[in-house]
Amino acid sequence: MSILQYNGGAIIAMTGKDCVAIASDTRLGLQQQTVACDFQKGFKMNDKLYMGVTGLATDVMTLSQLLKFRMNLYKLREDREMKPAVFSALLTSILYEKRFGPYFTEPVVAGLDENNQPFLSAMDLIGAPVSTSDFVVAGTCTPNLYGMCETMYRPDMSPDELFETISQCLLASCDRDALSGWGAVVTVITPEGVTTRKLKGRMD
Amino acid sequence: MARRYDSSTTTFSPDGRLHQVEYAIEAINNAGTAVGILAKDGIVLAGEKNKPSNLLAPSKGPEKMYKIDDHLTTVVAGLTADANILINNARINAQRYIYTYQEPMPVEQLVEKVCNYKQAYTQYGGLRPFGVSFLFAGWDEYHGYQLYMSDPSGNYSGWKATCIGQNNQAGKNLLKNDYEENLTIDAAMKLAVKVLVKSMDATTASADKLEFCIMTTDGDKVIQRIVPEADVTKILEEVALETASEGDM
Repeated sequence: MSILQYNGGAIIAMTGKDCVAIASDTRLGLQQQTVACDFQKGFKMNDKLYMGVTGLATDVMTLSQLLKFRMNLYKLREDREMKPAVFSALLTSILYEKRFGPYFTEPVVAGLDENNQPFLSAMDLIGAPVSTSDFVVAGTCTPNLYGMCETMYRPDMSPDELFETISQCLLASCDRDALSGWGAVVTVITPEGVTTRKLKGRMD
Repeated sequence: MARRYDSSTTTFSPDGRLHQVEYAIEAINNAGTAVGILAKDGIVLAGEKNKPSNLLAPSKGPEKMYKIDDHLTTVVAGLTADANILINNARINAQRYIYTYQEPMPVEQLVEKVCNYKQAYTQYGGLRPFGVSFLFAGWDEYHGYQLYMSDPSGNYSGWKATCIGQNNQAGKNLLKNDYEENLTIDAAMKLAVKVLVKSMDATTASADKLEFCIMTTDGDKVIQRIVPEADVTKILEEVALETASEGDM
């Protein structure tokens, strides 16, 4: 049993035409026992930047709180918002600081940069980042997630199409994973604003 | 007599004073004035910018006001370099509190943290005290709007209205006479302008020399607003009109 699979979870982030979406399940389990179906894994960092964190639940919470701390200080000192790429770099730095006693998390960053261009990145628990232009996934069912996204993704989707696609990818992947599912939340970020919706999926 | 006991921060003089701390307070009395006023539904902070030369590049943000957190802000009087250290310290403390307790730091606790940090420089280490005084303005759900003044000794006190920096005595006298409880924000702003105009003395008050920050709440959210120069000019004109007719019978 891997520590990264103790609590379970699944996250996808995907780009569309001038928009990004991030979807996460909301299950919190203790191995096979499900304990909560409203556990937050997607965190708003600012109006155009979201972070999704999977892995050990305590580290999911700690990491999001730590990043909030660092972002707040950045905003006060630099008098501007943090760009997604900068945020991603900070996150990799924080994770690598704990190289020999890491946070057991695999975070995902999704946002719009200062020109409203979509930005995605994902990293492993010690901060090795990967930035793609289509989609990134993380969690206990990544093979499922990769398969679904690779099949259903097409570039330049509108916000509504993006919402449909990312939702179906997540739901279908979680259905084949005992440790993920039990509810899902999808957030779509556009230059005009952010829309967050809860999905009705199988509660098993 | 003071000579022998004034060069070390960590020594009392025979008449029970810490001279270094007092000298630090003197340094602040040469700095630009800052005033803070508690209103019925908000706080008004104002400061006089010191503009030693026209060659100075215009600053991109406020010079005397510093945001500590969403619900807390401060005006500085004294050595800016010293202030920067303390403000950074305050910001980190405020974030640490949120990190630990997942709620904003109560105003007095933050003030006390900063003051305890300042106090250390009056008791040990052989380092000089910070040459800064602060006016902290904040709102928390436990005590509402609060205004605190803190000085180099590490002492702090809560005020309804006060001022620090150049000519603060004149400012305080004016506040003593003209301050009333439950002022509106607008009335408090006008009073702050009057105080600054009085303390600026010979120099004429103009909007580019003044900075204003208004703190109010909107439900649970605290809003801090730096007043734009155009609005400051308007208020300066209104105050000038009022004071001009004050002497008339």
